[in-house]
Amino acid sequence: MARAQPEASRLVESGASVPGFGALALRLLVAAIYLFLLGPILIVVVTSFDPTTAGAFPPKGVSLRWYGEFFKSDSFLAAFRFSLQLGLLAASIATGIGVITSYALVRYLGRRREFGQTLVMLPAVVPQIIISISLLLALSFVPFPEFGSLLAGHVVICLPFAIAGITASLDGVDAELEAAALTLGASRWRVLAEIVVPLVAPGIISAFIFAFIVSFGDAYIALFLSGPGMTTLPIEIFSYIQWESSPVIAAITSVQILLILVLGLAVERLVGLRKIMRF
Amino acid sequence: MLATGRGFGKALLAPIVLFYGVFLIAPVSFFLIMSVFRYDALLLYRPDLTGENFARLLFDPFYRGIIILTLKIAALTTFFSLLLGYPLAYQLSRTRSAWRGVLLFLVVAPLMTGVIVRTYGWIVLMGSEGLINSLLVWLGIIAQPLKMLSTETAVVIALVHILMPYMVFPVFSALASQDPNLERAASTLGASRLRTFTEVTLPLSRSGVVMGSVLVFTLSAGAVVTPTLLGGKNVSMLGQQIYDLVLHTLNWPLASAVAFILVALQFSIIFLYLQGSRRGARAT
Repeated sequence: MARAQPEASRLVESGASVPGFGALALRLLVAAIYLFLLGPILIVVVTSFDPTTAGAFPPKGVSLRWYGEFFKSDSFLAAFRFSLQLGLLAASIATGIGVITSYALVRYLGRRREFGQTLVMLPAVVPQIIISISLLLALSFVPFPEFGSLLAGHVVICLPFAIAGITASLDGVDAELEAAALTLGASRWRVLAEIVVPLVAPGIISAFIFAFIVSFGDAYIALFLSGPGMTTLPIEIFSYIQWESSPVIAAITSVQILLILVLGLAVERLVGLRKIMRF
Repeated sequence: MLATGRGFGKALLAPIVLFYGVFLIAPVSFFLIMSVFRYDALLLYRPDLTGENFARLLFDPFYRGIIILTLKIAALTTFFSLLLGYPLAYQLSRTRSAWRGVLLFLVVAPLMTGVIVRTYGWIVLMGSEGLINSLLVWLGIIAQPLKMLSTETAVVIALVHILMPYMVFPVFSALASQDPNLERAASTLGASRLRTFTEVTLPLSRSGVVMGSVLVFTLSAGAVVTPTLLGGKNVSMLGQQIYDLVLHTLNWPLASAVAFILVALQFSIIFLYLQGSRRGARAT
């Protein structure tokens, strides 16, 4: 924008337009877009404190009634716990595979790196519902535990994000150190474990957190692969609100928003979300 | 690059190749191949080749309607995401505000909350006892709550809300990587702000627009959760058909054909977009 430019160009423009009208209009528009982006999420948090039905206006007061309902509901608590466990497990596996894959992409693929990096993004272009059904179908041929397919599906959708974060961190590491260690006789595995991993630790941690976030929020892979005793939180909410609407959902989603917000800020502090989202 | 470690490099890539092969490529390929199998009520399918699933999808007006509706909703969602996402990306790429990091975070944060949380937000807002209706009734503007849920409009609004960040990121990176001197040069040479924008800024951000549009189109065409919750019985998209055919009708071959069409639509859109952008790039 004009105000960000140095003096010289401001002089050129000063006669052309009153500094401002266009810029002010753009700012108002952008503020409105932010309201659109964040409003529906904030509304959920606000209504979760309303003691009466969700969305009633004006609000009838402030209470923690719906949070109490959440902590009394066995099915939602079980789903919450299950999602946590699944997310931690999926994120661990995705990060593990992500570390070695990223290392190979950055250090060993040379000019074929870009091609490799595109292939790794594959799960992001196949509609997730198709990945989910395909895994369900595969179960009817191969005797594989149902939890295994759900976990595998989550690892598949987490991997592109984990790899994006770790490759971005690896790009900032000088290969000289590794070359020196190799020359001094360290094995390649030892170089990876004792030099590379500690150097990109923040990237690895943030990839882990981001993978967890992806798994925890997923509603498509789990759509077909959830079963009795293994329902994720998003699927529990999905089946609940298809039939009825209760502010207890607002309380649960608020807890989820808080959790994601804290984790998201952690990633931002560690390496920056931009690197993982690749923009 | 650490040369001479080819074998080691291959060993490092083995897990992901194996993982994608077993849990992504093999199952998805098999599922899509099933689209040419015959439906069998008892065995799920019989592996004799047939074109009847595709014939049914293309000639049955019910399925044709669903294909058209899916294309329409995906196209509208892409259009409005671009309309809102572009100014946002532009402002973010040009601002020198100390809040820039925070502003970027606020675009990413909603994405991380997951699709259910954001869809639920719209239920709270648009329900018959929801915030918008309660507010309008309280203000005396309307006597009876408006019916906002179970409409195509509700689905499009929510999809734009959910998917817009995917438009903002690529456009933002295209705009942020532009040399600011180009815009300055244009205005020094006497171009108006509008002309600078349409002839310098916009063409140079084409790659981001293409990337963002492809992402938003793909994701909205495959939506299931949002149209089910906000569209009710009135909105039926391809993704929901796959869901119904697999879980309720148990017609896997037909579900597979629907999935095949969905993937084919996506890849043709990506192809057309890339062609168009290449031609456009040559013209400038």
